[in-house]
Order: sequence, then C-alpha cells, then structure tokens
Amino acid sequence: MNSSTAMPGSRIGKVSSGSLLPTFLLAAGYYLGAKIGFALTFDPAPVSILWPPNAVLLAGLLMNPPHAWGLILLAVFPVHLVTQLQSGVPFAMVLGWFVSNCSEALLGAVCVRSILGERLRFDSFQHVAVFLFSCVFLAPFASTFLDVAFVKMLGWGTGSFWQLWRLRFFSNVVAMLMIVPVLLAWHAGILSSMRNAAFFRRLEGGLFVFAFMSAGAMVFISRLESAGFVPVLLYAPLPILLWAAVRFEPFVVSASFLLFAFLAIWGTLRGYGPFVEGAYDGNVLSLQLFLIGVSVPLLLLSAALQERRKSQKSLHRQEEKLKLALAAGRIRAENEVRKQREQLTHLARVALLGELSGAFAHELNQPLATILTNAQAARRFMSQQPIDLNEIREILDDIVEEDRRAGAVIRHLRALFMKSEVKMQPLEINELARDTLALTHSDLIARAVPADLQPSSSSCMVRGDRVQLQQVLLNLIVNACEAMSGRPPQTRRLTLTITDKDSSGNVRISVTDTGPGIAPNVIDKIFDTFFTTKAHGMGFGLSVSRTIILEHGGRIEAGNHPGGGATFQVTLPAAQEACHE
Amino acid sequence: MNDEPIVYVVDDDPGVLKALKRLLCVEGYAVHAFNAPEDFLQDHDQRAPGCIVLDISMPTFNGLVLQQTLLASAIERFIVFITGHSDIAASVQAMKAGAVDFLTKPFNDEDFLAAVRNAIAKDAHARKVRLELQSIRWRMGTLTPREQQVLQHVVAGRLNKQIAADLGIAEKTIKVHRARAMEKMGVESLAELVRMTVEADIGSVMEDPPYNRTARCAASVFSRRSTDTHSERH
Repeated sequence: MNSSTAMPGSRIGKVSSGSLLPTFLLAAGYYLGAKIGFALTFDPAPVSILWPPNAVLLAGLLMNPPHAWGLILLAVFPVHLVTQLQSGVPFAMVLGWFVSNCSEALLGAVCVRSILGERLRFDSFQHVAVFLFSCVFLAPFASTFLDVAFVKMLGWGTGSFWQLWRLRFFSNVVAMLMIVPVLLAWHAGILSSMRNAAFFRRLEGGLFVFAFMSAGAMVFISRLESAGFVPVLLYAPLPILLWAAVRFEPFVVSASFLLFAFLAIWGTLRGYGPFVEGAYDGNVLSLQLFLIGVSVPLLLLSAALQERRKSQKSLHRQEEKLKLALAAGRIRAENEVRKQREQLTHLARVALLGELSGAFAHELNQPLATILTNAQAARRFMSQQPIDLNEIREILDDIVEEDRRAGAVIRHLRALFMKSEVKMQPLEINELARDTLALTHSDLIARAVPADLQPSSSSCMVRGDRVQLQQVLLNLIVNACEAMSGRPPQTRRLTLTITDKDSSGNVRISVTDTGPGIAPNVIDKIFDTFFTTKAHGMGFGLSVSRTIILEHGGRIEAGNHPGGGATFQVTLPAAQEACHE
Repeated sequence: MNDEPIVYVVDDDPGVLKALKRLLCVEGYAVHAFNAPEDFLQDHDQRAPGCIVLDISMPTFNGLVLQQTLLASAIERFIVFITGHSDIAASVQAMKAGAVDFLTKPFNDEDFLAAVRNAIAKDAHARKVRLELQSIRWRMGTLTPREQQVLQHVVAGRLNKQIAADLGIAEKTIKVHRARAMEKMGVESLAELVRMTVEADIGSVMEDPPYNRTARCAASVFSRRSTDTHSERH
C-alpha cells in the first residue's frame, strides 16, 4: 500500500487502486462467463442453459463494498459490449441486456447486503437462506421481466413472453446457484485453508473427487445405457454429494456440484444421460430443475452442518479455554496458598528463633571467647624464652577449630533465618536431632533442663527439608522446656528418642518432657492455629509444625507420658536409602 | 602440704577450659581443670591454697549451685565467676555469696589474671588469718577456767583490785592468774591481748586494732566463752 492511501480523503483512490486487479479479474470472468453462456446456447433455443455473466457480476458485487459497485459495473460494460457484439447481437439489445443484467446483480447484492449487513458466507444456514431468496429467486425473478421486456420491445427473440421468461429465469437461477457460491468461497480464501489440511483429509478429498466424477460420468456421459436409461441411476451421485455436504466445507460442495452440473449439461447437450428423451426445451428444463432441486437442499444441508461443526468446535474451544482458565485459577490459588503457608512457616520460625536468640548469642560467644583467650595465651607464650612452638601450634589449631565452630553456628542460623525454597534431600535423622539439640544447648542450660538424646540403633534416612524439620524439632524442644519451667530443676528432663524403622517403613522421633503434661480438654486443639496455652504464645508453632510434617508425608501426635509429662511424636516415612546398620 | 596455689578451673566447654588452662599455665599457675562440677568436687582438696575459676552455666548443676554447695560444706574457696551471659541477677547472687569477681566472656586476659591473682591473695590472707585464729583459740583453750575469768575482767578494763573484789579472791592470786594467762597467750601487753581476743571473736585478723570497740567485743567473747564459769559460781 503506498503512502497516499493512508491519507484522509483518498478513499476513492484507495478503492480504485485496491480493486484494480479484482475488477480486471471480474471483467475477465464476465467475459469468460459470457463465452461459456454462448457456448451452452444451442439452436433452436435462443437462451443458454445457464448464463454465468450475471452470476459473476453478482459475485463481484458481493465481494466488494457498495461504493465500489459503480466502478465494477463501469468496468464490466465494455466487456459486455465486446462479447455481445461479437455474437452479433444488435446494439440496442446489448444495452438492454446490460441494464437487465446489472439490475439483477444489483438487486441480489442490495438484498443480501441490507438483510445480512455483512459479507455473505456459505457456512451459515441463515446466510444460505438469504442467498437463495435474494440472489437465486428474487433477483432473477424480477430482472427477467425487464430482460424479456427488452427482448420483446426490440423483437429480437422468438417465442411467447412467458416461454422466454421461463427460459431466461431458470438459466439465471441455475447460474446463480452454480457459480456464486464457488466464486465467493474462492474469494474468501477457503482454498488456502484447505491446503493446510492433514494428509488423511486430503486423501479423503481426492477419493471424493474421484468418486464424484466417476458417478457423474456414469450417469451423464456413459454410452453403455443405449439399451435404455435406468432412472434410478440419477440418484447415484446423491450419496457422494451428501458425503461432501457432511464431510467438507461448503466450497467443496459447491465446486463439486459445479463440475457435476457441467458434466450433466455437457452430457445432455450431447445426447447422453437421462434428459435426452423428449424435446430440447423439455430436456433443458428437466436438467435445470434437477440441478436446482439437488443443489438447493445440498447448499442448505452443507451450511447447516458446517454451522453445527463450527459451533461444536467453538464450544469445544470454549470448554478448553474454560478448563485452561480453571486449571490456571487452581494453580494460582494453590500457589497463593503455598506462598502464604511458606510465609507463615517462616514467620513461625523467626518467632521461634527470636525466643532462642539469647542461646544463639551464647553459642556464638563461646567460640569467640575461646579464640580470644587462646590468642592472648599465645601472645604470652611468645614472650617467653624459649618459645614453646608446639604449644603455639596447638593454640593455632584450636583457634582454627573454634573459628570453624563459630562459622558453623552462623551458617546454621542463616539457614534457619532465611526464607529459602523448600529443598527435599536425604537426611540422617539422628544427626538432625543431634544438631538441633546442639543449637539449643545454651538455652537448655539457661533453663536448667538436662537433655538426653537416645538415638536409634541404626542410622535412619528420611527425605525432607532440613530447615523445616529442624524448625519442628526446635519448636517441640522449646515447648517442652517451657512446659517444665514451673517444675523444680532436679525433676526436669528432656528426652529425644529416635526409634528404628518399623515394619511399615516409618521412623519416629519423640520429644518427652517431665512437665505437667497436656490437659485432656486441650489435647485435641493443640495443633489448631492460634491455639496457645502460653501467655505470650501466638499459637501457630504447633500448627505450622503439623503442616510441615504433613507435607513430608508424616504425622505428628501429642500425648501424655505414663510417667508424667507430655510426649510429642513425629512419624516420618523412611527414605529409600533406608536404614543402614 | 604443698604451699603452691592451685587454680581450679570448671567449665563445661572443653575449648574454653583448654584456653583458660593455657593462659594460667603460661603465668606459672598450677591448674586443675574440670569439665563438670561433680569431677571438681571429687578432686578438690580444700587444704590446698588457690582459687576456683567457675563457669556459671553448666548442664548438670550450674556454678551458683556449686558455690552454695561449697558454702554449705563450710569450704572456703575464693571464686572467680565467668559467664557467657551478663546476667545481673546471677552476678548479684554470686557476689553476695562471696565471689571475688564476675567476668563476662569474652574477657581480657589482664582482667582475668588480675581476678585470679586477687582471689589467690585473698585465699592466702584468709589462710593466714585462719591459722592465727586457730593459734589464738588453741592458746585460749590452754587457759584454766579461772585464768579465763581473770582475763575476761582484765580485757574489760578492770583493775586487779576490782577483779579480786569481784571474784572474791586475793589480789595477789589475781596477779598470778593474769601473768600466767598473758604468758599462755604469748602476749606482752594488754593491748595485744585485747586485739587477740577481738580477732578470735569476730573471726578475722585486724591490721589496726580498734581500741574504742575493744571492751564491748572482748566482753561479748568472754560472756559466751565463760557461761560454764558463771554456772560454776552459782
């Protein structure tokens, strides 16, 4: 598109330049149609079996917006003149026919435009019905009067008014039915879409064309039936046409029907087929009626089926879309829930670590103090004579060791404080319990709670997130300590027991205290969110613990120990790596 | 008995224990290090001079409990507490119970060694006092009831004549008792005698004898020690 077309006020230019090629093609089509029309005109009748130019013109108008119609009619006029004059038609008659032809095309196009208000499509039952009414019935019906009136006025044709009217009417009707759908569908670019069809679809199309042409040839041009035509043979192409209507796009239906019609006309004109028995007029009329009678329901059926297919397709698409939307919504909701759960887990962990912060500071302080004392001792050793190098070396080794210890504490804490992705990995459960207990070492001392770890007899692996499982154990340990805070120090004892993998492949970690135990009326609610028995508790430590354990495919239970105190039991499925002796 | 002071170190953290032991060793102290208070109690020799460096927070029983245990068994040990937390309540409790110092880890070596030195000095002093008091009490134990009676009156500032009147015996006899008591106590002046009796009474050795309090204190000593003498009289 050149730049001038984009400018306002260049609408005429746009139309003319945009429709130059189509207009030329249209004119060529008109010319070709006229030639075919003349070719199908046989003596003694002065009228063709079908007259394509009008149909070509109507298709041309329907393809273009109304403001281009004048240009189209103007372009067609010289072509009309040439073809008619070539055939020896008087000039006045040529003009008369141009007027009637144009009026037919315009009437049809205007009707379709005004009723539908959009481009005519052959995949809609309503559109096909409007087409049949406006273009196939109304336009030929009205214009034929004008046509015959011109003929009568100029005295060019023979026969009575009604005879002429009938001949020309059916000729126009057949042309409209045969040609307009094919041209419109071709213009709408159906062909290119068919080119992308799957292999089997193409194979089916090939089979169809072959079967159809065979049936048509058998009925209309076979010479075998010289013994007499079997009328039932006329129905032979019907199942194949129905096949087209059911399986293919309207274009395939109308195109194949166009071929079929040409076969029929060609055969009939040569004296083959079922319509050769009577007079020429009668034969042509029978053929026309046959073609009309077959094509009208076929077009409607094809449109109805196509519409149905489309609506099913769109329904299916909508269903798919809905499903997708639902799935996306579910995933979003799940993501949201997961994110919130992760946030809550992190929040609970940070709160828990806050409670333990004093203990952590001590855990870190201890190695730092040791390093300082060692370094100062080393300085004193250095000032002695002779310098005890062995002692200095040992001191340095110890400093390195203590520094590593401090680093490990910091690493541990960072992992616990950070809000990291859940990382499932094989973990040795005894080691996990030992590490966690070590983290709380100072807290346990400060709370005067002696702790005891009873590891399982064999090492046991579970799959889980290290930080989250530590969070659960930390929570249980802190809870146990708080439960015992009101008890005399000598009765306090915290026991962590790891049991070996049982027959159902589970590993158990129990945290037992010697506190007052869990009140029976509370034991069912203890894992509920916001339930707390502590004065400053937020009530989500245990609920978060339960969520974590459930996500690890395990369970957590609370109960009272027969010897007094509470026991929290975490059951986790042992990992595939299982337990090693 | 060896007179070299021993520094007992008790801390549950092996790293800290080792570092402290090094620091003390390089300064020439004899160090006995323990991971647990129980081990310390087993090994502890109360006759040995020295002090304890004690961690407050330990798993089995903490430093404060150990301090109480020692006090309850009347074992006098000067303690330098070390702790990870600067816990005011614990430090107050420790100091009230007689701790020499309360250091928060990490501490400066100078501060720590000064505290240890201080504790050892206090221990040495206390041992000297205890020895002296023992000797005073032993000497007092050698006095006869009558000599004690006379001494009590002498310390109270009575003249021989007055004492003779009070006890209903001859002044001459009083003089003999008094001379023998002075001799047994190993003193040559009345002032020295008074100081000794006060020291024995309050259980500590005085650098400067508090003359103005002498009479009252001496009286209280002897009023307790001579109850049997009084009953004898009635």
